[in-house]
Amino acid sequence: MTSIMVVDDDQDLAEMLGIVLNGVGMEVDLVSRGDEAVEVFKNSQPDLVLLDIMLPGTDGIEVCREIRKQSTRVPIVMLTAKSDTHDIVKGLEAGADDYMVKPFKPSELVARIRTRLRRVSGDINGTLTIGDLAIDIVEHTVARGGKEIPLTRLEFDLLVALAKEPGRVFTREALLGEVWGYRHSTDTRLVNVHIQRLRAKIEHDPENPTIISTVRGVGYKAGGSGARS
Amino acid sequence: MRRALSIFRRSLFLKVFSLTAVVSMALIYLVGSTLYGRITGGIFDEKIASAISEGRAAIQYAEYRFTIAGLNTKADYGLLADEVVKSANVSAQESGREVVLINVRGVKVDGIPSVSTSNFLVPESVPEALRAKVRESLELEWQRGNLEYVNGKVIPGIYVGKIFEIPRAGKYEMYVAYDFVAQQSNIDLIGRSLWVTGFLLLALILLTASVILRMVIKPVQVAAEIAEALTTGDLKNRMNVKGEDEIARLGVAFNQMASTLAEQIARLENLSRVQQRFVSDVSHELRTPLTTIRMASDVIHAARTNFDPTVARSAELLLSQIDKFEHLLQDLLEVSRFDAEAAVLSLGRVDLSALVRRSVEDLSLLAEEKGTTLSLHGFEEAIYVDADSRRIERIIRNLITNAIDHSESRPVEVSIAANESAASVGVRDYGVGLSSQYWNRVFDRFWRADPSRSRIRGGTGLGLSIAKEDANLHGGEIRVWGELGKGAHFVLTLPKRSGERITSSPIIEIPTGSSI
Repeated sequence: MTSIMVVDDDQDLAEMLGIVLNGVGMEVDLVSRGDEAVEVFKNSQPDLVLLDIMLPGTDGIEVCREIRKQSTRVPIVMLTAKSDTHDIVKGLEAGADDYMVKPFKPSELVARIRTRLRRVSGDINGTLTIGDLAIDIVEHTVARGGKEIPLTRLEFDLLVALAKEPGRVFTREALLGEVWGYRHSTDTRLVNVHIQRLRAKIEHDPENPTIISTVRGVGYKAGGSGARS
Repeated sequence: MRRALSIFRRSLFLKVFSLTAVVSMALIYLVGSTLYGRITGGIFDEKIASAISEGRAAIQYAEYRFTIAGLNTKADYGLLADEVVKSANVSAQESGREVVLINVRGVKVDGIPSVSTSNFLVPESVPEALRAKVRESLELEWQRGNLEYVNGKVIPGIYVGKIFEIPRAGKYEMYVAYDFVAQQSNIDLIGRSLWVTGFLLLALILLTASVILRMVIKPVQVAAEIAEALTTGDLKNRMNVKGEDEIARLGVAFNQMASTLAEQIARLENLSRVQQRFVSDVSHELRTPLTTIRMASDVIHAARTNFDPTVARSAELLLSQIDKFEHLLQDLLEVSRFDAEAAVLSLGRVDLSALVRRSVEDLSLLAEEKGTTLSLHGFEEAIYVDADSRRIERIIRNLITNAIDHSESRPVEVSIAANESAASVGVRDYGVGLSSQYWNRVFDRFWRADPSRSRIRGGTGLGLSIAKEDANLHGGEIRVWGELGKGAHFVLTLPKRSGERITSSPIIEIPTGSSI
């Protein structure tokens, strides 16, 4: 059974989230304080974290950073009442994979959680190589020269999406559909922030990327010789 | 030239300075020339008086000698005439003196030449008018005229002349001429002195004027500069106040005004910040409970088949109203962001054509529900613009939704076009329409053309207002045309490159063949 950790100081909302998620067969751990969240996370090892940004104790951004230190894998979805660029980008940079702006429809939330939990690229098995990176899709690992590079699930998905078709230029919208499961979103912040984070981990020189290159005015592609960003 | 004129118009210093210059120049010239006239007049008058009295004496003496000589029948007139003429040179003290003796009939009589002059003076230099006067009168006559010599020298001077009769020889005109050389050099000296004095005086006046002007104008200039800074919103500058004179009073009053202004603005800014902050906070605070309500009502809604029909219907109404409420909240938040000027563009290169096509696809279901269709024109090619895709999509959706709402089930046409500088999207419906007096009011918040129909329509009443703000944020615009019963046409025009001006709109909002 999928277990979800919900960190939100609003008891009623948390309870309601519990009802909705239980209704679709997910188990829910409720945490109402930021400073307790990391402890609970360590003990319960949930499959996914729903995290409110405004929290008493430690704030959501900090909690997000702490959880990321514990696990690179666990998907984190922020819940926020503010759709202002600033907060969201801060959250994404702290390691969140996705965010939902309140108020959201329960069905949207469930769909988003499922996208984040799905095993990527089920149709490909085996390994991919891009540059000097070896991607093991079954094992869900990325390694350079036998040394594993820890990636979040989302970063892994993003890398696989690009590496599956080296040289193909993906628009940000296409990546949003492929990796985040958005049908029509044009929120390119998600893509931009995660590409930056991914580059920081896999590129030799993130300032001059060779594995994921930017195609100016269009999007990104795997493989070098693209226009410099 | 126009630039110089504009600089002149804008500078008080230049104006007053040049006025002072012109007036003092005129005054100095007037005084100088009057003085010059008086002095030269005096000098000449004196010379003329002495010339006349001396000339008279000389002529009388000559006449006397000729008369005496006339008593002696053997007298040598020729020698005497020569003596008379040469007497010009004898009078050492009056060096510039010449004598002319002319026979009235122009003949040589008794050894007297018809014309004799001293020192190679050209006889014709005696003014003709004077000769005429002399011949007609018995008195001494005089006139100013030039002394012309055979060697070409010309000197200004005066001629004094009289006619007298030499016994047996007939009538002779005698002229004594005096030059003005000494007087002229005096006058030249005086003239030069006057010019120099005049220039010095002018320079002194202008120097004084500019010093005084600077003293007075400098603070005014500073005040003007600070006032200009104030109008651009820089409220910190103040005038430097020294002393207690009028200028200082101006400074004090000015500074007080600036302070009061700054205080007022700060107060108002604070007030509106508090208000905007409040709207934003309220909207945010409402979101968390609204999320809970939304989820709860979804759960209830999902289970409605188990309920009594009235409860089930209530669940449906609850959900649809929550939807509406949510939209309203979202729009309110957006509006408060515009009011706080906190709306920020996140620009990228956007294929406007693809974006509009996608929005149309999304909304075709809504159109179908309302019994209308959406058709596209001009979407064959990609049109790239620098834009915030989220905002542009919102504008397009707002315009199309608005058109569908007012379409009266008639088709809605969406068109796109571009020129070098701009791209346009037009949304045309053939429904209710609106009269020209309301063209600008459609963008007002919560404004509805016909209040009685308002509840049937969807939308929050903020859609078009937000669309306009979004367009403005891009440096673009939304134009509107409409006519009652004939529908409306909304045209969004965006500059292709951000920051550039739109020179012309690729789509004109007024339909061809329209009476307006």
